[in-house]
Amino acid sequence: MLTAIIEKEIREILGSAKFGITFGACIVLILLSFYVGAMNYKSSVEQYNAAKAQNLRQMEGLTSWLSLEQHRIFMPPQPLAALVTGSSNDVGRTIGVHRRSSIAAEDSKFSEDPIYAVFRFLDLTFIFQIVLSLFAILLGYDAVCGEKERGTLRLSFANAVPRATYILGKLIGSFVTLVTALILAILLGCLLLPLLGVSLTGDEWVRLAIIIGTGLLYFAVFLSISVFVSTITHRSSSAFLTLLVIWVISVLIVPRASVLLAGRAVDVPAVDNIAAQKATFSKQLWQDHQKAMGAFKPPENHDPTMMMDLFNAYMDSLSQIRESKMNEFSDRLNEDRHNRQKVQQQVAFNLARISPTASLTLAATRLAGTSIDIKDRFYESGIDYKETFADFMKEKTGMNITGGMFIVQSDGEEQEPIDPKEMPEYVYQPEPLRASLAGSVVDIGILALFNLVFFIGAFVSFTRYDVR
Amino acid sequence: MAENIQEVTRPRLEAENLTKRYEDGVLALDHINFAVQPGEIFVMLGGNGAGKTTTINLFLNFVEPSEGEARIDGIASHKDPLAAKDKVAFVSENVMLYGNFSAIQNLDYFSKLGGRRDYTRDDYRDVLLRVGLAEEAHNKKLRGYSKGMRQKCGIAIAILKGAPAILLDEPTSGLDPKAGHDFIELVKSLKEEKKSILMSTHDIFRAREIADTIAIMNQGQIIMQKRASELAESNLEELYMKYMAGHNGQKIAV
Repeated sequence: MLTAIIEKEIREILGSAKFGITFGACIVLILLSFYVGAMNYKSSVEQYNAAKAQNLRQMEGLTSWLSLEQHRIFMPPQPLAALVTGSSNDVGRTIGVHRRSSIAAEDSKFSEDPIYAVFRFLDLTFIFQIVLSLFAILLGYDAVCGEKERGTLRLSFANAVPRATYILGKLIGSFVTLVTALILAILLGCLLLPLLGVSLTGDEWVRLAIIIGTGLLYFAVFLSISVFVSTITHRSSSAFLTLLVIWVISVLIVPRASVLLAGRAVDVPAVDNIAAQKATFSKQLWQDHQKAMGAFKPPENHDPTMMMDLFNAYMDSLSQIRESKMNEFSDRLNEDRHNRQKVQQQVAFNLARISPTASLTLAATRLAGTSIDIKDRFYESGIDYKETFADFMKEKTGMNITGGMFIVQSDGEEQEPIDPKEMPEYVYQPEPLRASLAGSVVDIGILALFNLVFFIGAFVSFTRYDVR
Repeated sequence: MAENIQEVTRPRLEAENLTKRYEDGVLALDHINFAVQPGEIFVMLGGNGAGKTTTINLFLNFVEPSEGEARIDGIASHKDPLAAKDKVAFVSENVMLYGNFSAIQNLDYFSKLGGRRDYTRDDYRDVLLRVGLAEEAHNKKLRGYSKGMRQKCGIAIAILKGAPAILLDEPTSGLDPKAGHDFIELVKSLKEEKKSILMSTHDIFRAREIADTIAIMNQGQIIMQKRASELAESNLEELYMKYMAGHNGQKIAV
């Protein structure tokens, strides 16, 4: 009997105009998201290569490594970021590693092309979050109450049909049909990637497969909610209205409201405030530095070379002390802000997880490497690179690049140009797959739990449903 | 010997003190009693709100009785609904099937719900021809069917279920005279197959044409119940009007 109900459900969905129209729209949108993602990725790769080449070109003609004011590092484009953009377009994609003590990521996609920030991208998460959740509602809102309105429920239950079997058949039938249809559309999209010249590594394919699986789990949540609502209402119009309200609250309100609430609950000092504190402290240090410079006493024999060496060494030590104090102060402020920010994020995310949309976003972006952590990850790798860069410069120049002043001597001889290829290469390491999986398992679990709760809800509610 | 006779003649459909009071206090059915034997057509005649559909709903366990029992082949519907429903088929006033499915597909689905997985397309074709549905319509989607055609599909589904009892809830309501006549002929043929049929209607003419027993219902009570043979010489319409006019909430005759 269960098979008969499942078969009927599949046949009924496939034969409906509603399915034809919504599924057709879904195929177009899914393929479009893959196409747009692939095109964006290719364009990002071109920009990345051009920026790297330009960075190296700036070194051409330099004859001393000391003349190198700064070196830029770039976050390489990730193919999955084109499909699940997450925070990748909001954070800076380049860091200038130079003599100043602090580094910061700059030139985000949205700061360069603000138009994209207005409407955002048509990526795979958008399709899942908005389109597929609506698709699930459209196809599930009248699963039970619609049958009642049409009169088929009464005839069905004039037979010896256990209610549990009936609702199980409906859920399985709807889920299998719609998920199979979506998987086909997504597989077509996946085929587009290599055809458009985007090659994914094995690790990335695994990540994409889990992202798609998570998206389908999210779709199933909305399908279960729809079936559940259709078992607590007796008119399909009421069910549809109820589901629209749930959709708006879940998809649009809860994630945004949770960020606002977390902002109220956890105070994070503004960047400007921190910058002002740093500037005041730096000014004070500089004044101390200048006083200390006056304390330098040249040797009595007045040998200019020896004096210069001693002066440089003295200045170097002063700079190091100043730098160390400034770094310590900055680090303390930054760490405090960072810690508060992390607490705020955690509060916001935990509140947002009331909505399945938030869980999908958090899991998908974590798996795609475009979660909010991308900023910290790039920054930390920039810090690491800065140390490598400093070691390299010290090796080449014998000086600490963080020093405030250099007096470069020239003996008048023509010098050989520096070789840019000697520069240490910057390598961005995305989060390992195992760590991404561990980080997203909670949200995947929450989506599974949502499914279970609404499935049981539909089941229990239907056992009391008036089928007349 | 007495036990054997009782077994053979046990009614397939029985209402015993069947009462239904809804949550809002409305008494929809008030201690009604009747029995339908194999090969008998029992007709409930009455106006809107008389309790005819509630009686059928109680047999199908769509609602639970407040008192008494509705039994199908000796099984109380509210106690073991699945076993009871296994022994009954149902045709409603307005048979609603899946509009995107053909008649054959609808028959196939509802037969399987009725526990019959052994039918072939030929079986479906034969039964559809028997109920008077032309072969060219068998594979057409039901959304284009007239009410008469859908009622024919409904009775075909009931036949295919092979249940010993059939509940008909105003099955000829809204049908044109020819379709109504064809339907009644089908019901008569089912009676020949010893089916026990409980039919509700407010069509006095049809009731007289088909019934073995007629019960006039009003305000949830059976106010008159007679064998058709007892009414042979009577004008049923006059009788109906007389009972309805004389009824003030008390049973006139049972």
